[in-house]
Amino acid sequence: MPDLLRAEGIGKRYGGVCALRNASLALAAGEAHALVGENGAGKSTLAKVIAGSVRPDAGRILIDGEPASIRNPLDAQRLGIGIIYQELDLFPHLSIGENIVVGNLSFPETALVDFRKVDDFCRPFLERVGLRRRPRELLSRLSIGQAQLVALARALSMRARVILMDEPTSSLGEDAAGRLFRTIRELTQSGVAIVYVSHKMDEIFRVCGRATVLRDGGNVGTLEVPKSTPDALVRMMVGQVGNLRADWQSARAAVANRRADCQSAPLLSVSGLTTRKLHNVSFDLRSGEVLGIAGLVGAGRSELGAALFGLARVRAGEIRLRGVPIEPKSPAAAMRHGIGLLPEDRKLQGLMMDMSVLENGALAACRGMRRFGFLSAERERRALDPLYRQLGLKCASFSAPAGSLSGGNQQKALLARWLLADPGVLFLDDPARGIDVGAKQDIYRIIGALAAAGKGVILASSELPELLRCSSRILVLADGRVTAAYDAAEATPERIMAAATGAAEARP
Amino acid sequence: MKPWAAAADRLRELKGLMALAGIVLLAIAISPVAPDGSRIFLQAGNLTDILRQISLIGIVSLGMTLVILTGGIDLSVGSTLALSTSLVAMGLTRAWPGSGYAPHILYAIAAATLAGGLAGAVNGAAIAGIEIQPFIVTLASMIGIRGLAKWLTNNANIDIGFGRDVAAEFAAVFRQKPLVIGSYAVLAAVFWVLLSRTVFGRHVRAIGDNETAARYAGLPIRRVKIVVYALAGLLAGFAGVLYAAENHQGNPNVGVAYELDAIAAVVIGGTRLAGGKGSIAGTIVGTLIMGVLTNMLRLGNVDSNVEMMVKAVIIVLAVAIQRQRSVD
Ligand SMILES: Nc1ncnc2c1ncn2[C@@H]1O[C@H](COP(=O)(O)OP(=O)(O)OP(=O)(O)O)[C@@H](O)[C@H]1O
Ligand SMILES: [Mg+2]
Repeated sequence: MPDLLRAEGIGKRYGGVCALRNASLALAAGEAHALVGENGAGKSTLAKVIAGSVRPDAGRILIDGEPASIRNPLDAQRLGIGIIYQELDLFPHLSIGENIVVGNLSFPETALVDFRKVDDFCRPFLERVGLRRRPRELLSRLSIGQAQLVALARALSMRARVILMDEPTSSLGEDAAGRLFRTIRELTQSGVAIVYVSHKMDEIFRVCGRATVLRDGGNVGTLEVPKSTPDALVRMMVGQVGNLRADWQSARAAVANRRADCQSAPLLSVSGLTTRKLHNVSFDLRSGEVLGIAGLVGAGRSELGAALFGLARVRAGEIRLRGVPIEPKSPAAAMRHGIGLLPEDRKLQGLMMDMSVLENGALAACRGMRRFGFLSAERERRALDPLYRQLGLKCASFSAPAGSLSGGNQQKALLARWLLADPGVLFLDDPARGIDVGAKQDIYRIIGALAAAGKGVILASSELPELLRCSSRILVLADGRVTAAYDAAEATPERIMAAATGAAEARP
Repeated sequence: MKPWAAAADRLRELKGLMALAGIVLLAIAISPVAPDGSRIFLQAGNLTDILRQISLIGIVSLGMTLVILTGGIDLSVGSTLALSTSLVAMGLTRAWPGSGYAPHILYAIAAATLAGGLAGAVNGAAIAGIEIQPFIVTLASMIGIRGLAKWLTNNANIDIGFGRDVAAEFAAVFRQKPLVIGSYAVLAAVFWVLLSRTVFGRHVRAIGDNETAARYAGLPIRRVKIVVYALAGLLAGFAGVLYAAENHQGNPNVGVAYELDAIAAVVIGGTRLAGGKGSIAGTIVGTLIMGVLTNMLRLGNVDSNVEMMVKAVIIVLAVAIQRQRSVD
């Protein structure tokens, strides 16, 4: 039986950068196939080639054994190929429903938009992905995790035979991810093939049957997931690696032990904080502490960062920094108080895509790196080079535009911006989003080092293992309220999930 | 990367330079020939004439570059130029209590230029403070400032004349080629450095590239925008001073469609109209392209209506060759 889809010998160059060289991928009907590799390995590029949004320089694509010509995304859609891009390509000023039907061949479009028909078309798919929002709401009102669900609903509604998912859970919480995995299982049972790009090993081992590993744009190999182990897979991606599980456990133990020695006065103290989406949130952050913020998508994690960083209007409550009440009215004001925020959406809120990697990294700190009042590329380079090296950022050159980096490398550039700015209180909103397994460990070490240097770090994350790995204390939010707070020693995934979903057991 | 490679990269980005070279070659080729056999286009007098002719629009388009880089637009610079021209002439034809021409001239120039800067700052405050779209704000001020200039002058020309009074003295000095071209050169150099070597310049580009991200990075967006529009106004004001000297009069009705010429120079220079991407170097090249083109057509005695049509084609062509391929 021929493969449902085969990509053979795909090559793609961007100027001097070779994104793909002789890469191939074979998909059987009804399988979930993982596509893995380090940041910049070429996963997204390969997915885009198959979906027709990038034209390859070499290679061909076969569907049911027949060569197919895919020159643009519409061709791909006609051939039954759907995609969820890593950097979502939705329209913020259109409604959820319009985003799902626009350019969608399976929606019978009429000259006049019939909103009732749009609603009816979208509802089953929104239900299936678990997004409880009305189809007429504007996309810009959603968080990035919810937008990811809209992209998913759109892909499902196209009734594709092949669905490419490029890091679909990068901003999803456990519950939404769990629903996605159920959907994937249903789809594969009905014969749809899924390409699943992810850096999360546990997900790959939960849903995928086979995995193809890319490194530097070429194939390393394809293996049967159930017969392999995460360590073996990671070893194929990066060449060498230790025992991830043991690392994780020892790191966690270290964080839990350090908890004892930060009993000083609080660095940041929030009491009764209330905004449009938060209700009466209180907590203390001591210097040397990593405070984890857990919660489902839409629970208010990002809103908390926005409130501290002067981006959301505070209706009630008080923020004290070293005992002194502050009212950050804007990000600039918050930064003057020494508060920093790494935003969750690097594309919308983070990077200047046409500016260079160097300029992006230096943006929040370039005032301090001037020479005789003028920008000094030399100084910026000297300051950023070690950070980029530490984070393992791969780029053609420091003067390459940020938009030409792979998703994970963009995240590293953004992270470097805030590490360089070096605020006393740093709110990290999903800092490891889209970052590969190896670099993730480095980021966790950096977070630990920040705390050890006496900073206060707030870590909001949709990944429980990450929170458990790094945090000395974990605050759980649900519907804008604090539902639980655990010390590292007493935090377990079950307790956190229960508190996040509002289960009765967790209520104090 | 080696420094020369970076420089070569930057040069390659400046595809406008190729367009300029092409037009210069064409101008040389079709230039009429003087009795002594030399090409008129290449005569020193003609080349410096070109520079003098582009200087005013060149100065205005420096400010326009910053405005467009932030993702904005300034339609009011033509009216600002007219206001400043009128003000400088009014200032010079008024009685002056002190003695000596120099303070009187300086005062008139400063007042006219600062009035331009003030008009720009008001634009900026409305755009950044009240958050009204730049197109709308500057469309309104284009009308309002023109009205102000006409009202102040009773809609009449203020002649500067050729006598021996202070106004004529001012005109004699400020219409000299070296001074006009020199002003443009100095201002261009200052703005080049401002845009590419200062924190302010980086903020300008960052805001145009992604304003939301600029806010999240804590950049002083309001301040930057107000300063950018104020600078655009200042430059238009100073251009108005030179305009008055060159034409020996203050006239509230001049400078119509100046903003469009300035915008054209900026976009021909490769600056993206949506902001974030562009350079002063590009704008200088864009201005030169317009200047050489006009000169070439005038030397060839091309009908001025045809000249407009040719310009239209060149604008589209120049932007087309610099277009980034949108797919991959
Ligand atoms: N538009 C572009 N211009 C220049 N280079 C690009 C462009 N898109 C991708 N690249 C380069 O191609 C390489 C592969 O990128 P790709 O996005 O496919 O990586 P990836 O495997 O998806 O990584 P990640 O895990 O970080 O998402 C990278 O080195 C990247 O810098
Ligand atoms: Mg990718």
